[in-house]
Amino acid sequence: MRLKMVKDIRYLSLGILLIVSLTLPFFLPDAYVYLVGMTFLFIIMVVSWDIIVGYTGQVNLGHTVFVGIGAYTTALLQVPSRFEGTFLHFLSAIPSPPIYISIIMGGVVSAFFGFIIGVITLRLRGYYFALVTAVLPLVFIQLLYVWSDIFGGEEGFSVGLERALAVDSIGKYYIAFFTMVLSVLIMYLIVRSSIGYKFRAIRDDETLAESVGIDTVKYKVLSFVISSFFAGIAGACVVHYRITVGPSMFDIPLMLLIILSAVIGGLGTLFGPIIGGFVIYLMKNWWLKGMVGLSDVVPINDEVILYIILIVVAILAPEGIWVYSRKIIEKLPIKFLKKAKTT
Amino acid sequence: MIDLIMRILVYGAVSGGIWALAASGFSLIFGIGRILNFAHGTFFVLSAYICFILAKDLGVNLFISYIIAILLVGALGVVVYKIMMAPVRHHEVMVIIVTLAFALLVEQILLLLFGEHGYSIPSFVSGSMEIGGVLIPKTRILAFFVSIAVIILLEYFINRTRTGKMISAVSQDSEAAMLVGMDVEKLFMITMFVSASLAGIGGLLFGQVFGASPIFAVKSLIYAFAIVILGGLGSVRGSIIASFIVGYIITTTIILLGSRWAEFVMLITIISILIFRPTGLFGVEE
Repeated sequence: MRLKMVKDIRYLSLGILLIVSLTLPFFLPDAYVYLVGMTFLFIIMVVSWDIIVGYTGQVNLGHTVFVGIGAYTTALLQVPSRFEGTFLHFLSAIPSPPIYISIIMGGVVSAFFGFIIGVITLRLRGYYFALVTAVLPLVFIQLLYVWSDIFGGEEGFSVGLERALAVDSIGKYYIAFFTMVLSVLIMYLIVRSSIGYKFRAIRDDETLAESVGIDTVKYKVLSFVISSFFAGIAGACVVHYRITVGPSMFDIPLMLLIILSAVIGGLGTLFGPIIGGFVIYLMKNWWLKGMVGLSDVVPINDEVILYIILIVVAILAPEGIWVYSRKIIEKLPIKFLKKAKTT
Repeated sequence: MIDLIMRILVYGAVSGGIWALAASGFSLIFGIGRILNFAHGTFFVLSAYICFILAKDLGVNLFISYIIAILLVGALGVVVYKIMMAPVRHHEVMVIIVTLAFALLVEQILLLLFGEHGYSIPSFVSGSMEIGGVLIPKTRILAFFVSIAVIILLEYFINRTRTGKMISAVSQDSEAAMLVGMDVEKLFMITMFVSASLAGIGGLLFGQVFGASPIFAVKSLIYAFAIVILGGLGSVRGSIIASFIVGYIITTTIILLGSRWAEFVMLITIISILIFRPTGLFGVEE
């Protein structure tokens, strides 16, 4: 009965969130509509990170790299002229596909890189995956600078107004919202399926999982590929949402925000990270007084505060605030029942 | 040409020595507690800044400020262990997240206080001398000999002293060590002190040769990772030997291609080790 009540509360809060999200653009100023739309795309990044870290138990510290690969893939597909005069000149002749196809291509290319990194590092047990993914962001950003002719260096480049997701913020908002709902739904179905149970078996005890006949390497890589795919989709959407692409959008502060959101929401809960992502992203950007974008010019104090929050939450409530509050909710009915009996 | 080879030979040895100090500390705490300490680079950078403040701003005697910096960083290591790592030690994911967050926190605070440009910390020696027809700054020669001396001391500490042997015992089997009456928690703290101080010494040597800047709190981790993976996770002797190999790879890359390729070459190095010899040179099977 308690379980049912928890479920009711969960569905109720999701329902409220859904209705609020759908009606929000009608009474919110344009700048905030834009910001909330970005939050939806951010939620995809958080939930996809949760798939590999929370469900499969492999610490991925390079998630932003896969977001970035998706972003630069779609940006370069849309603006192939960036390749002109470089050693990849032959690529400049490729005609650009419609943006929806190039967003999916962003996910596919990300998943491909995820597959390669995964096959090399995940076949080994233990800490190699965390070590290698921790190195990736620094290498990725460095390469963007090295080949600044193509990637636009520090400033990045614009994909042009005509390649935006929609003409106005409200249109972008709904596209971002439905992309999020669709992505989260697919990831939800995956973790609820038998594949998801295998992921969790690997997380809880890899040796045991192997002994009951689960091909652990295959499922770890699969989990990483799924995670990278949706990271790439989110990154590609961000490009067409903001019309520009640049390294500051995929730097370490974004990784921190993703980790913080997932940890506060509770690793391996899927719904926790959604709420965590929503709260953290809005909170962080409201501090910037409505300034829009992924960590463009972050006042340094905000970052320091976020790091401190992350350390404190991770030490005091490593299961996440979602699980923490669920425990409290689960306890509530007992008190009421006891009271009803005694009186 | 001879000139170039000579320079790579000497500079590579120097940077190998410095990274050996940083990486052996990282390896030590991983070996004993299976703790991946992402805050290790923080100790590396902090000691250089502490020494800089003491010697330049407060006018403390140079030798004393070196000693204070090393001890302070060692003590900080113990505090960080007590507050951040011990409570979540059995939650592998959280150890990594907490230590990484701490490293980034310190990096931000240093950026806020000192800006992003590097500070060169004062050295005991100045000028340069000629070796094999190449002019070598004396700070590098000092760094090389100091790091070799510290490595020998470390080997002695681990293999010959009672505490060192106890640390090895806990690395092999912490439960068995506990059963025969070792205070494992205390050994963890001692190891953390030694580990952080080693990073501190490495940071001081690095700071006087190349200058210290906040980004090295995270960047130095790349080199440390490459070294410990090549040497085999958890093997201190492996990391020392791997440091010199990695030191030569870094130096060759920087001299021939430029420093902006250093990270990329490190990644390629790590990945090729993982493909061809995942357990490293002296790896212990998990």
